[in-house]
Amino acid sequence: MAADASSAAGAPVRPSWRRDRDTVWLLTLWIVLSIIGCLLVALVWGPHMPPGRASVQAASQATDITVLGTIAAPVVIGVLLYFGWALAFWRQKPGDETDAIPLHGNVKVQATWIVGTSAIVLALAVYGTVELISPAGAGGGQGPQPIFRNGLPPAASTTSWSPNSNNILQVQVIGQQWAWTFRYPQFGGFETTQLALPVNQPVQFNVTSLDVIHSFWAYTLGVKADANPGVNNVAYTTPTKVGDFQVRCDELCGIWHGAMYDTGVVMSDSNFMAWTKATAVQLASVTKILPPYALTYDPTNIPAGAINQALGLTSAGGGYYNPADPEQP
Amino acid sequence: MSLPARVATLVVAFLAVVAGVLWVVFDIIGPQPTVENYSAYAKNGAVDITLMTTPETTVTNKPDWVSYFIKNPATGQFDHTTYFEVPANTKVNVTILGYDGCTPLRNPVWGRVTGVAGDVENVSYFNKGQTTPAQPVSTFDSWANCSVQHTFAIPNLGINVPVASPPTVDENNNLCATGPCVGNDDDTGNAPHSVVTFSFTTPKTAGTFRWQCFVPCGGGYVDGNGGPMGTPGYMMGQMEVQA
Repeated sequence: MAADASSAAGAPVRPSWRRDRDTVWLLTLWIVLSIIGCLLVALVWGPHMPPGRASVQAASQATDITVLGTIAAPVVIGVLLYFGWALAFWRQKPGDETDAIPLHGNVKVQATWIVGTSAIVLALAVYGTVELISPAGAGGGQGPQPIFRNGLPPAASTTSWSPNSNNILQVQVIGQQWAWTFRYPQFGGFETTQLALPVNQPVQFNVTSLDVIHSFWAYTLGVKADANPGVNNVAYTTPTKVGDFQVRCDELCGIWHGAMYDTGVVMSDSNFMAWTKATAVQLASVTKILPPYALTYDPTNIPAGAINQALGLTSAGGGYYNPADPEQP
Repeated sequence: MSLPARVATLVVAFLAVVAGVLWVVFDIIGPQPTVENYSAYAKNGAVDITLMTTPETTVTNKPDWVSYFIKNPATGQFDHTTYFEVPANTKVNVTILGYDGCTPLRNPVWGRVTGVAGDVENVSYFNKGQTTPAQPVSTFDSWANCSVQHTFAIPNLGINVPVASPPTVDENNNLCATGPCVGNDDDTGNAPHSVVTFSFTTPKTAGTFRWQCFVPCGGGYVDGNGGPMGTPGYMMGQMEVQA
């Protein structure tokens, strides 16, 4: 026992039988707690993971977060368990002012750690990449030429649409300080402040802005796409539940950014078709004065009437004032 | 350094930071506009409010900013504020005296009247002592015509009302030169202007609703949406609904 109780330099070390006992306890506790933690995350917490399951994309994202959370649980539990065990049992005793034992590294431990953590990270990278291609990633804005299309073909027609026609529904999202408007090119191009979608039908959002950068965030549908002026940013979703959903701006865009939200609605196919028909009629007077449908708009270039031209008002971009008048920022 | 000196240094540094934060808050945010309380003036479930738009705001230190004014129900004077209070579940009859010139809407969709009674506004024009008969209008084409100067929009209530502008070149070149536009000469109250009336009903429950203009009328600022467009008391404000 004397050889186990002190090192060559005279510092006390734990006897090997005690180190082995700690290791067994730690491993046993870690395995048991990890099993419990994984089950809790997967089965109890998992069904409530954000962003919910109101669309194919959202459900896939919720599954991804559940998988990642389940995998992370043993890691988190291991770190916290080791930390707590060290605090409880390996702390310095009162009056003990000796140094700890010198550490010289352990090839087996280091190799196991490096290989293990690398395997976990690389596996998650592969999983994440595959999930980007599958529905989850399709909810994010992908620019004007989307890569992850969720297996959906480009719209067969941009001027008409009917349910279950393999012709994806086009909805243009237009951000402006400080409101969202939504344009439906396949129904005459009307533009409205109401966002309505049919259930179980794939939707292509074409997101753009008329002024600064906004971000279209239909949280529970698993959709988030920046709205950039002069850029078309494409995102996809397929709503699976009838009901309301929230739309928010997720890019600080000015004083009323916090108030730039909206409530969208997912409805049945028949209700959606009836809504589009009624809305097109209701908005006919303003639809005919809108610019022709396009993926982006340039408010600085408008077909100004004679009096507007005479007054020098040939732009709707806010830049028609003399740069020196009125006040400069 | 002694302990008292350290404590004193810490206290002074803390107070300096607090003072700096307070200075930034009060200097940048500044005093909020006064609230015109119309609740006490509601009768039989209705209340009348009068607003004014002006091309200049000569009563402030930003004389070249466009602005809204609201008539004080007690004094009858136009105050420089965009905050007003109205009772819940009440019909609000709004009159806007539009003294500013026309400006194309960035998005023509805001040229449609929505969220108010009949989805129409009644518009008449004043010029050279004459007022035209009021006409109902539901949609303005601000690109093709010189027709809109600002909008009065409460997005969360679905309300959008384009404020008609004086329609001719001559009128737009002879706009009111003060703010508010009160007086009896051609440079002030008798300058060319529109008179816009409409009505809407306030929600049944209390709340605060922001309102804004959708014309990019903050001249000289990025996209025309800075300055008066982003400053309380000018081109945006709040409607406080009292239960």
